[in-house]
Amino acid sequence: MTVTFRALVAGVAAVGFLAASQATYAQDKTIKIGALFPMSGPGSYFGAQDKQGVELALEQLNKDGVNGYKFVVQYEDSSCAPLPATQAAKRLIEQFKPDVIIGEECSDATLAVMPIVEQAKVPLLNAGSSSIKVTEPGNPWTFRIMPNEVMQGVNLAENAYKRINARNAVLLFENTNAGIGNGQVFKENFTRLGGKVLAEIGFGRDVNDFTAIATRIAGLGKIDVIPTYTLEGQGLKITQALAQAGITKGGGGDAIQIGTIWLPFGFEQKAGKAALGYIRIVQFDPTDTRNVVKDFITTFKAKYNADPTHLNAHAYDQIMLIADVVKRGGKDPQSIRDGLAATKNYSGVTGSVEFDKTNQNTKMDTVHYMETKPDMSWTSLKWN
Amino acid sequence: MTTTIVLQQAINGVVFGSLYVLVALGLTLIYGVLVQINFAHADFVTLGAFAAYFFMHLIGAGYILSIGVAFLVGAALGWLINASIFTPLRRKGNELLPLIATIGVSVMMQNLMLAWFGPIPYAFETQYSSQVIRFAGIFVSWQNIIIIAVSSVTIALLYAFMKFTFLGKALRAVSQDRETAGLMGINPNYLIMLTFVIASALAGMAGAMLAPVLVLTPFAGTSVIVKAFAIVIIGGFGNVEGTILAGLIVGLIESYTTQFLDPGLIDIVVFALLLLMLAIKPTGLIAERREENV
Repeated sequence: MTVTFRALVAGVAAVGFLAASQATYAQDKTIKIGALFPMSGPGSYFGAQDKQGVELALEQLNKDGVNGYKFVVQYEDSSCAPLPATQAAKRLIEQFKPDVIIGEECSDATLAVMPIVEQAKVPLLNAGSSSIKVTEPGNPWTFRIMPNEVMQGVNLAENAYKRINARNAVLLFENTNAGIGNGQVFKENFTRLGGKVLAEIGFGRDVNDFTAIATRIAGLGKIDVIPTYTLEGQGLKITQALAQAGITKGGGGDAIQIGTIWLPFGFEQKAGKAALGYIRIVQFDPTDTRNVVKDFITTFKAKYNADPTHLNAHAYDQIMLIADVVKRGGKDPQSIRDGLAATKNYSGVTGSVEFDKTNQNTKMDTVHYMETKPDMSWTSLKWN
Repeated sequence: MTTTIVLQQAINGVVFGSLYVLVALGLTLIYGVLVQINFAHADFVTLGAFAAYFFMHLIGAGYILSIGVAFLVGAALGWLINASIFTPLRRKGNELLPLIATIGVSVMMQNLMLAWFGPIPYAFETQYSSQVIRFAGIFVSWQNIIIIAVSSVTIALLYAFMKFTFLGKALRAVSQDRETAGLMGINPNYLIMLTFVIASALAGMAGAMLAPVLVLTPFAGTSVIVKAFAIVIIGGFGNVEGTILAGLIVGLIESYTTQFLDPGLIDIVVFALLLLMLAIKPTGLIAERREENV
């Protein structure tokens, strides 16, 4: 009886020990991802859509894990602005101790976070900030998979001049690092080709009424293109005001609004017929025939009963690229950083990824052009 | 050419100035009667905007009717929040508590709206947004004509109410000297409630008219509230006529700054005017008469 009881106790202890070991093992085999997304303020639509892409990727990856690792994400609201972003990054690093961080979307916020991740030696994988300063000079711990403002701006200026035959432009941009930077790159390249910039109009994120700006533009004479760099909300109002003033095609005018990666799919439906003829770069082309894109669209629709946007896509890509690095041996901040740097021809939903020495993705197949058609749908222009 | 642009920007300025006036009038009414700043006012504007949006899109009602609904939703919410939060705090005799509570109400309302409506901007289009009248180089949308018309009628009615009705005179009496007004048989608590209801109704109505103009998110109201505060100070804290005048001036300043300087300088020009006003005439364009009890 005593022997049996002792055996039982020993058995229970052994099982308990094994379970505890397994729990420790399982805990150790986790890649912790910190997510700095804007969840409040005017950029909060970024965060909502990013989160959908992340959750879809996690659902797929955590079914079987990668190299025995599962992935956990902790979200922090970085609000698309420097101060809340730095506070959120410090909270993540001190409390969650992530192996890698993804985000932010807005350049000003990303630039503010970069010194913090560098000091903590945690890699930051960015997919939404276009300012050249993110990677030049950049730092060894920050990687960007989206084309920067120069890659987009040079391409946009050349296409505006050569394909649209534009000669006169008016620049509209929000007064942020990304807005000003995007505008300047376009200006330099458009004027280099022989184009003329008639006005450069910057505005704060608190500007509501764009009728006054549209009135000013209407008085500038013949305009061919209006490169516009702003978040979705203000973008809608600008597009509508330009049409109301009879400047753009949507309002019976001749000018075409053009832009880089700022606006999500669905913008044209919200803007209505004012968006007619709008040509813009998107980071994700749903008509792309690669299997990775088709699978993403199918699984996204199954989970959310909606079509994915480029924000959903680039957030999904961030997690999947990290998983690829883990597959190649990444397991902690240093090895994940080294694995990201060694990435060659990774094929993601938004395009392919291969970083240069500044940790900027060099692949131009992430730049897709689309044009708004009269029925408010869009067509892929296949310019790259 | 230049005359056309000047005239066009004047129209643009009056449209936005009218909206600013509607928002600022609520602030100035509450300050006039309670000598209290309502930091939650912006969120009443936002809620009015969403009320109008959902009334139009879920029920399929017309835009004009939705403005009325936003007015009523604002009034009801003003009554509810004043009765449940501000009045009990005011009874405790500490004037700081209701002021802090307005900040709490603001944060709470913003986050509730964020949870309910989500962060993605709504496109609030009315049948009048895309209908544009063009005449001799000038353009104005029907939406903007409605804004000017509804704002003008509302402002005129409020002005008449304050000047010629018993309740309006009682409100002015309370704003000038609450204790003496109480001795004359006026019930200050009832009038405070009435002030909150009117101010919140105006905010709700302003929201319904701002929604097609500004970016509709749970934070929409905050984008106009700072200007509204500036207008209240420039106009003369608590003075209705001064607020109307200052609102139109700020609207025009915005338009002409955009045209002749740069839209990035709007805030600099408006707040430079505010500082100038504080330095030269701290009582504002039209000073509100107020008795000091000593």
